[in-house]
Amino acid sequence: MSPTTSGTGRPQTPTRRLLRAGFADLTRSATLWQDAELQRRLPADAGGDDGVLQALGVTADPDLALLHLVRLASVPAAQQTVERLLAADQRSGEGVARGRLMAVLGASTALADEIVRRPALLDVLGDGDGGLGADPRDVRAELLRAVGADPESADPVAALEPEGADAPGWPDRDAPTATDALRRAYRERLLRIAATDLTAPDPSATLPDVGAALADLAAGALEAALAVARSQIPDHGAGARLAVIGMGKTGGRELNYVSDVDVVYVCEPATDEAGEPVLDESAAMRIGTQLATRLQKVCGGTSLEPALWEVDAALRPEGKQGPLVRTLASHVAYYERWAQTWEFQALLKARPVAGDAALGAAYREAVDPFVWAAANRDHFVEDAQAMRRRVEAHVPNAEADRQIKLGKGGLRDVEFTVQLLQLVHGRTDDAIHDGNTLAGLSALAAGGYVGREHALRMGACYRFLRSLEHRVQLFGLKRTHLLPTEDEDLRRLARSLGMRGQGAEDLRQRWRATRREVRALHEAVFYRPLLPAWAQLSEDELSLAPDAARARFAAIGYRDPDGAMRHVVALTEGTSRRAKLQRQLLPVMLGWFAEGSDPDAGLLDFRKLSENLGATPWYLRLLRDSGNAAYHLAHLLSSSRYLAEALARSPESVQWLADTSRLEPRGPERLAAEADAVLTRADDPGPAATRLRALRRRELARTGAGEVLGVLGPVQAQAAISDAADMVVVGGLRVAEFAARDQMGLGPDPAANPTRMLVVAMGRLGGREMGYGSDADVLFVHDPLPDADPEQAKAFAELTARTLQKLLSAVGPEPPLPVDADLRPEGRQGPLVRTMASYTEYYERWASVWEQQALLRARPVAGATGTAVDLAERFDAVVDPLRYPPGGLAEPKLREVRRIKARVESERLPRGTDPSRHLKLGRGGVSDVEWTVQLLQLQHAHEVPGLRTTETVAALAAAEGAGLVEAEEAECLLDAWLLASRLRSALVLWSGKVGGLRADVLPADAWALTGLARLLGDVDTGQELEELYLRTARRARTVMERLVYGDD
Amino acid sequence: MDRQQEFVLRTVEERDIRFIRLWFTDVLGVLKSVAVAPAELEQAFVEGIGFDGSAIEGLTRVYEADMIAKPDPTTFQVLPWRGERHGTGRMFCDLLTPEGEPSRADSRNVLKRTLAKAGDKGFTFYTHPEVEFYLFNQMGSSDGPLVPVDEGGYFDHLARGSTHDFRRAAISMLESMGISVEFSHHEAGPGQNEIDLRYADALTTADNLMTFRTVVKEVALEQGVFASFMPKPFADKPGSGMHTHMSLFEEDSNAFHEPGAQFELSKTGRQFIAGLLVHAGEITAVTNQHVNSYKRLWGGSEAPSYICWGHNNRSALVRVPMYKPGKGNSSRIEYRALDSAANPYLAFAVLLAAGMKGIEEGYELPEATEDDVWELTGAERRALGIAPLPESLDEAIELMESSELVAETLGEHVFDYVLKNKRNEWDAYRAQVTPYELKTSLQFL
Repeated sequence: MSPTTSGTGRPQTPTRRLLRAGFADLTRSATLWQDAELQRRLPADAGGDDGVLQALGVTADPDLALLHLVRLASVPAAQQTVERLLAADQRSGEGVARGRLMAVLGASTALADEIVRRPALLDVLGDGDGGLGADPRDVRAELLRAVGADPESADPVAALEPEGADAPGWPDRDAPTATDALRRAYRERLLRIAATDLTAPDPSATLPDVGAALADLAAGALEAALAVARSQIPDHGAGARLAVIGMGKTGGRELNYVSDVDVVYVCEPATDEAGEPVLDESAAMRIGTQLATRLQKVCGGTSLEPALWEVDAALRPEGKQGPLVRTLASHVAYYERWAQTWEFQALLKARPVAGDAALGAAYREAVDPFVWAAANRDHFVEDAQAMRRRVEAHVPNAEADRQIKLGKGGLRDVEFTVQLLQLVHGRTDDAIHDGNTLAGLSALAAGGYVGREHALRMGACYRFLRSLEHRVQLFGLKRTHLLPTEDEDLRRLARSLGMRGQGAEDLRQRWRATRREVRALHEAVFYRPLLPAWAQLSEDELSLAPDAARARFAAIGYRDPDGAMRHVVALTEGTSRRAKLQRQLLPVMLGWFAEGSDPDAGLLDFRKLSENLGATPWYLRLLRDSGNAAYHLAHLLSSSRYLAEALARSPESVQWLADTSRLEPRGPERLAAEADAVLTRADDPGPAATRLRALRRRELARTGAGEVLGVLGPVQAQAAISDAADMVVVGGLRVAEFAARDQMGLGPDPAANPTRMLVVAMGRLGGREMGYGSDADVLFVHDPLPDADPEQAKAFAELTARTLQKLLSAVGPEPPLPVDADLRPEGRQGPLVRTMASYTEYYERWASVWEQQALLRARPVAGATGTAVDLAERFDAVVDPLRYPPGGLAEPKLREVRRIKARVESERLPRGTDPSRHLKLGRGGVSDVEWTVQLLQLQHAHEVPGLRTTETVAALAAAEGAGLVEAEEAECLLDAWLLASRLRSALVLWSGKVGGLRADVLPADAWALTGLARLLGDVDTGQELEELYLRTARRARTVMERLVYGDD
Repeated sequence: MDRQQEFVLRTVEERDIRFIRLWFTDVLGVLKSVAVAPAELEQAFVEGIGFDGSAIEGLTRVYEADMIAKPDPTTFQVLPWRGERHGTGRMFCDLLTPEGEPSRADSRNVLKRTLAKAGDKGFTFYTHPEVEFYLFNQMGSSDGPLVPVDEGGYFDHLARGSTHDFRRAAISMLESMGISVEFSHHEAGPGQNEIDLRYADALTTADNLMTFRTVVKEVALEQGVFASFMPKPFADKPGSGMHTHMSLFEEDSNAFHEPGAQFELSKTGRQFIAGLLVHAGEITAVTNQHVNSYKRLWGGSEAPSYICWGHNNRSALVRVPMYKPGKGNSSRIEYRALDSAANPYLAFAVLLAAGMKGIEEGYELPEATEDDVWELTGAERRALGIAPLPESLDEAIELMESSELVAETLGEHVFDYVLKNKRNEWDAYRAQVTPYELKTSLQFL
């Protein structure tokens, strides 16, 4: 290339010319351009504006195209044609052929290799057959002729393979076998399609034709492969009729360049003139199996020419375990009895593509009713949700950013949405049965099931993603659905998609934007039409007819579609700003409610909440502006009665949902400060206590929401609930002392108290392991001031304790926290309050082993702690020798613990309760684990300081650390304790019921179990949850029996 | 209404069938039957038949007694012994909860689940049981002496032998119900017979065994004798076992077969056997579920009391039968502990699970045992690493209690129930004073 002068008068260096033409790798391409063989083929004006350089420049990857052109120029058999094409005028027929060649060279290394290997293919690019829009019958005939079979025959048979290379009648001299002949003919046609596709002005517009042409080509190849298979077996398999049914993209006539071809085979014995079968069924099935096996080998087996694709028959009844071919009756029997919902979804795309046409048609007719009745099957909703989860299942992290097909917003997502809508509405409307995704989508729009605008946009996204996938596959003719990472690859893709002048980054952005739009459209397409007509956002929005809306509500899991429609109407009615905001919000929320265990209740509660808060300016704005808040709200309302009620009670809590950090526990200090502020303002005990209880209610709701939304783990949640209880007890004591002073006429000053009080938390409060419905177990201790009248001190202490109990347990608007002092010395017979001295004496003289055990949970919580005279310290000093006995537990005491445990098991369990299902007292339940841990504490806390804790989890960890339990045993115990604790919480959260007979029993009915399973999220179904709990508890029980009872 | 269901309705109409028995099996393997009239059949197909499960062994927990039996129309058969006119039909049922989910307590479902799990790994499980049982003359009362119908021995052909007629009648009745019989002959004990069912997938075999037991009892009654599947009716005569041949198939090929390997046995086959051996003790309470089962297991004369395997070793627990050249697909192994009184659904499930465990974990198979293990001394057996099966139901229960494998296979509900039930059986047995004790002690003490 010598410097010339362009129109602008600036000298054109070779590099500049390459740059202007669109080349990127300038140095290398400049060298390639100078290749001697190429230069010999080039016409005089090759570097000109109209010339070869420009023709290369418009391809997807000019550098790549040039490289392949240089390779081609050195192949002797190609040189003549190449020279002719390069010299052609751009506007002539030859010029078009040149453009097609360049486009292929610049976009597909695999096809370029093929042309270099078979230069005769150059003629294919110029013979005027563009491959698209061909009659499927002609394609079939072409491929049959390629294997020497007669296209006119009903059961064409391929010619027998010749002995020598040019035996007469053998169609392809270069193919030693019929298999190779077929593959060569297939590639020829593939090249035509690719060349047309790559030179199309708008790839997205051409996409449906390309998919159809590829599917027809695959169908023709299957037909020809069947002809080859027939030629290989005795009698050409005349005894059997075999139909090949295309499934998946083949069936939908929307195939990729490279993908497995999904098929199903139907086989029947052939019949004679009288209509009698000529063979018995099993003989016919053997022949059918032989034909199918050989057909698959012709397409996908090893031979001289590369394989076409795998023929995949895994969608057949029973999958890979099932027989390869079946009779029609056997297919039908399977679909009647065994098939799963997803199999009917797959059948939606079934289309006869090769073999016996009449049998194929009979198959389609026979399976059709199953497909369109699938939405009526039991469990359709659950199945559809499970299928959706599989579609959305996150792809491996390494691929998440590159997957075109899978994951949210991928191709599968679009296909699934279309198919699900077809299944739901196709039952009553035959017009929407098309197995092709784009055709199905148009039909759904035409039938009034999807808004036209939405359908158009979804179609456009689909076309873009498919075109992208096609281009990625074309490059190496590899089955891949991953976007490449290298910039140069992305640049090529961008240019081949008509995004000329845009680079890698633009493509990445458009791809991401498309995925986002698919997601958004999914909501819009599925849920928006559920809103009534007047509530639509614009004129062209669609509203479903009542029957269709009912079907769709039912299909997504609403048990009372009419009720749901009423709520939707009520929420969106009117012209207020509120109604307008609801119209934007509601569609997506309808979908979210459907993910919970009770969508109907969720929607109803949302309506109530919205009616309550409608006038509040922040409410709807928050839901609209924070995606999190709306999602969280929908989730809580549809899966937890407890929280639905809590939110109805204090609607302002909805504000937390926008920002999960507000769901984290406030921590003891902030709670204490808040309680302090409340009490400092108060001057009347009753209302003050009510305010404290309200604070606790708020914290319970916060903790519940945090637990359901996964912000808090079970141990954190228990600690948060316990902190709130601590706060109420501390504040309550202050109020009670105030009231006692008032009643005894001692005046307002705390300094006038005749004694110092200490409240010691016991049980779950002591262990900081409270649930939503736990009582507060306590001991009351007091210590009279040295100069006080002992009687007055006692009276004051008792009055204070009783007042505290009354204030916190009294019936009132806020939830009570019953304060239970039954663990005190002598139980209910003993005095409610004792002095420190009395405790000391009692414990020294009378303490029984169960009291020692109970004291393991003792934690001073309120009163004179941290002061100059620290009662807490003194109390601990009294009880430590009891709960952490020096030298461990003597044999008689150990026996006593075991005996009590055995008695408790038989006596405390409520009558008629299955011991394996009682979460607290049952086998392997909370109590089994805690006894085990507490026994270890009694035995070893004197030597293992870590065991001196009131908390079960911490003690268990310490025991494991000290080698007192095996790691495996500790894990069994911890698993069981955590699961039982979570189930107890979940029972309250799900049912909204605190306490009651069933509060600690794993429910037996499926509805409740499913609700709990959704709330916990470990397993999918209620049955699995039940199985999980029973198993976990059984294992813990075994460990408990070993460690507590000493069983082997 | 699907075509199979319509077929059943049509047949019932055409053959003037007056009753349809719906069959299912309780957790102990006892056949349960509820009869419906033809008019109710259509409803039964659509909704199933509700019944109170709490009255049936192991089916439900007391507080959720409602269950649904849903007939499986593919199992429809006319019961031949109810006569041709106004006949009676039967179908097996799947048991469902009121919500329509498969019941956790249905032993048929336990087997289905286990088969599906193996299916996920690409395996289908085939079994071929050899069922032994005794025929006795009808007794006047339940404590009268037990009189077998003949004094024949192994393979004896008895002239005018009543057992001969019996087998002919039983087999033709089984065949008329679509159950193929492979083989039948007189067994070693007096009045003892063996009938081998043709191999089929394990679910079909288990269904067939339930039918088989009923047919054998019915035919015996017709002929004025009675049949018993009790594992060991006579202390000094051979017990009735149910040696079961098992094989796994991958697609169409036998996964146990490997040409050229020792005994033509593939690695999969070796691991399957290893699984059976490792878990043999803990599954015994299921495969040999009665107090009486252990009298057979420890009754000598070829009973498989010790956990070992061998090729054609008639004393081994697992036997690899002689390979027939050219019959790769007939490769199989034989488990010899199982007895005729087991619940076949549960027994097949635990056997498959144990074998699959061996495959999943890649267990190593110990050396084959060539000796007659009964001839070895205890010390020799210890040296060879040959452990005994549980000696009593009590011991078997204890082993099962700590078995994760059995718990996982049966599911927690059935697992718990079987343990409880077997514990009760053992306690009741232990409380007995037996004729043996009276005979040996009463006079002397």
